[in-house]
Amino acid sequence: MKTIHLLVALLLTSAVLSADAPYELLLKGGHVLDPKNNLNAVMDVAISDGKIARVAPRIDPIEARQTVDVSGFYVTPGLVDIHTHVYAGTGMRGAYSGDNSVYPDGHSFRAGVTTVVDVGSSGWRNFEDFKDRVIDRQRTRILVMLNIVGKGMGGGPIEQNTDDMDATATAEMAKKYPDTIVGVKTAHFRAPNWIAVDRAVEAGKLADIPVMVDFGSFTDERPFEELVTKRLRPGDMYTHMYLGSVPLLDANGKVRPYLHEARKRGVKFDVGHGGGSFQWKQAIPAIQQGWIPDSISTDLHISSMIRGMKDMTNVMSKILNQGISIYDVVEMSTWNPAQQIKRTEFGHLSVGAVADVAVLGIERGEFGFLDVRNGRFEGDKKITAEMTIHNGRVAWDMNARAGQDWQNLYRIERYQRARARRRSARTR
Amino acid sequence: MKLSTLLLGLLLLPGLLGAQTYDLLLKGGHVVDPRNGINGPMDVAVTGNKIARVADSINPSDAKKTVDVSGLYVTPGLIDIHVHVYTGTGNKNSYTGDRSVYPDGFTLRSGVTTVVDAGSSGWMNFPDFKDRVIDISKTRVLALLNIVGKGMAGRSDIEQDTSDMDPKATAKRAKEFPDTVVGIKSAHFAGPEWTSVDSAVQAGKLADLPVMIDFGTFQEARPFQELVLDHLRPGDIYTHGYKRQVPYIGEDGMLLPYLAQARKRGIKFDVGHGGGSFSWKNAVPAIRQGFWPDSISTDLHIGSMNAGMKDMTNVMSKILSQGVPLYDVIKMSTSNPAAQIKRTEFGHLSEGAGADIAVLRLDHGHFGLVDAQRARFESTKLLVCEMTIRDGQVAWDLNGRTATDYRKAYGLM
Repeated sequence: MKTIHLLVALLLTSAVLSADAPYELLLKGGHVLDPKNNLNAVMDVAISDGKIARVAPRIDPIEARQTVDVSGFYVTPGLVDIHTHVYAGTGMRGAYSGDNSVYPDGHSFRAGVTTVVDVGSSGWRNFEDFKDRVIDRQRTRILVMLNIVGKGMGGGPIEQNTDDMDATATAEMAKKYPDTIVGVKTAHFRAPNWIAVDRAVEAGKLADIPVMVDFGSFTDERPFEELVTKRLRPGDMYTHMYLGSVPLLDANGKVRPYLHEARKRGVKFDVGHGGGSFQWKQAIPAIQQGWIPDSISTDLHISSMIRGMKDMTNVMSKILNQGISIYDVVEMSTWNPAQQIKRTEFGHLSVGAVADVAVLGIERGEFGFLDVRNGRFEGDKKITAEMTIHNGRVAWDMNARAGQDWQNLYRIERYQRARARRRSARTR
Repeated sequence: MKLSTLLLGLLLLPGLLGAQTYDLLLKGGHVVDPRNGINGPMDVAVTGNKIARVADSINPSDAKKTVDVSGLYVTPGLIDIHVHVYTGTGNKNSYTGDRSVYPDGFTLRSGVTTVVDAGSSGWMNFPDFKDRVIDISKTRVLALLNIVGKGMAGRSDIEQDTSDMDPKATAKRAKEFPDTVVGIKSAHFAGPEWTSVDSAVQAGKLADLPVMIDFGTFQEARPFQELVLDHLRPGDIYTHGYKRQVPYIGEDGMLLPYLAQARKRGIKFDVGHGGGSFSWKNAVPAIRQGFWPDSISTDLHIGSMNAGMKDMTNVMSKILSQGVPLYDVIKMSTSNPAAQIKRTEFGHLSEGAGADIAVLRLDHGHFGLVDAQRARFESTKLLVCEMTIRDGQVAWDLNGRTATDYRKAYGLM
């Protein structure tokens, strides 16, 4: 019996021995990328009470109740995807305030994402329905940009109705929910005037939050150049930066100077891949010339999810394969977007910050990456989400690193049952 | 100009010469089509939304588009006969609502073209389910009606209400929608009596459809052995096949004999992995002693999608990891489930059949596969979905195999 006890004790060591340890979870041996804190080295990350407890070159496993070996992987802040559509479940057909949206939980964690921003699926009139229906019920942290259209992305004429673009009402709703509403969105506008953009900026001023613009139809009357060099404020964002319609390259294939001017002014450029807004024709020459994204985002919705976009790590892989470093790609997917939405409590691994962590791998091989016109780029690197931790809890674990070997687990159970039987026999 | 015209002509030449009978040709793959006994290198041609031809070698000049799938397995579109996809109602903590998911984000990326919602709706709310989800999904969604009229509402006052288990009304609704309703489900029942099972079987008899059972609470008053030996009919399905509560292994470490007896009677055993219904403790010894699943299914819902289940190819990889040959794993995920739900028009690549196709890759490496108790089995194989064709259209293409090199696509080379 003595030997069995010893054996079982050994088996239990990793799981139970450190029950009084200060840390709940220790990610050991990974390469930490935390751009906010300038970390780019092999380090251990300890988590307690849903918060980052310590980040250090070596933390003793004896101090943690559970230790997970993540050597060979990158440990990064939980990814922040600032362009998604997740206002699903209303039953509205063909609308992003309905059937074109998806519930985020099935798409976020498996791609390392812990925070998403829904951009303009709802407006001030239906935000509270969105909050009740989705935001309050999903595990993913959902922040929101209100559409300048009161009814949000209802599709068709609803989104073109300038009478429903009320800056004051939009700003008031934003101020009522400062924890959730992080900006104002304009999108899909077709008319040749600036009403949609200007009202969104006005609402942004009133609520002191940034604006994100999907420019809708590109028309001569309202040139894109004017949008980013004049109409938007520093800190405002243009999403869909590699969309085919953006006047990006001149006749000689050079990035147009006004874009650098716009960036210098403080306008931010976001990927917003989506179903129609990322073309290799634009992205490759632009990135080669240094026209890189400030933030990487998916524009997740029902058609992008199964096409060229797929998920956050796939979009990040596209940027990585253009020669951008993994450190920069992670910065564009964590700390940069967090700053853009002025939610600097997210997107980093500072001690005391919420324990949102992604454990990412880079696979080597031959991979094809699709754009929205069915153009394929062949790359040799692919980012995959090995684990995702959200609020200190394992929310995705691709290869069961936080699990236990099945034979050990069931051996422990057998031992515990046998011990319980012996005890009850003794009492009898 | 002349030169470019000539060049263009040369580029188009192969196309112009051939009759281009086929829209899409999957060339050089290893076809696994158990219904037709095919397990070898073959080409598959699609025209419109039908399988046009499966043969040793089909000339690319006969096809408008040829995709190289060498090194990959070409199989019928996978059929997942246990999912929960009745979402969007706003019902909290309920499979008739928040616990369900829209199927399209989970199916097509893992090779699944047909799912069966297993009892999320009952006869009362099936029309709402159909309108809200079934009719707008790209995935083919079939349904088992819950024997409870209000379906899987979660609340015990609804799901345990035996007075709402109406075989006649359930059978009537099933007959009203024969294209979509393929069986009856009983699930989550906690009472000590057989009412739920027996009413489901009664409805199944009236509508001439199979029944699928989630046995709810396992209890001495209604032994599991009795379910599969007496209460179910041949052709009925027990799901959650490797759930830890199912009695599998005797004191001698051997498979309990009643299981083989039940199978001999014609009872089908389905995986139905879910969030809590797949235990290595049962699966490993059972499969090693030859008790394989008849069908592999996910029990997709919000609690399983990010846990040990993940998706269909992941669950298939688990069965594969136990030494079951790939051919059989595909059979358990295509022609077997199709036969179980009596929809034999699906789950095979016969010429003339609907063009639902999965192109799968078998990765070799070190993978951890986790069960419902977070126990890990270490495997060296993992099935990955490269492409999914649904109704003749490319619905998933992981590596852009059907696409054009971007330089060609934009005339840059």
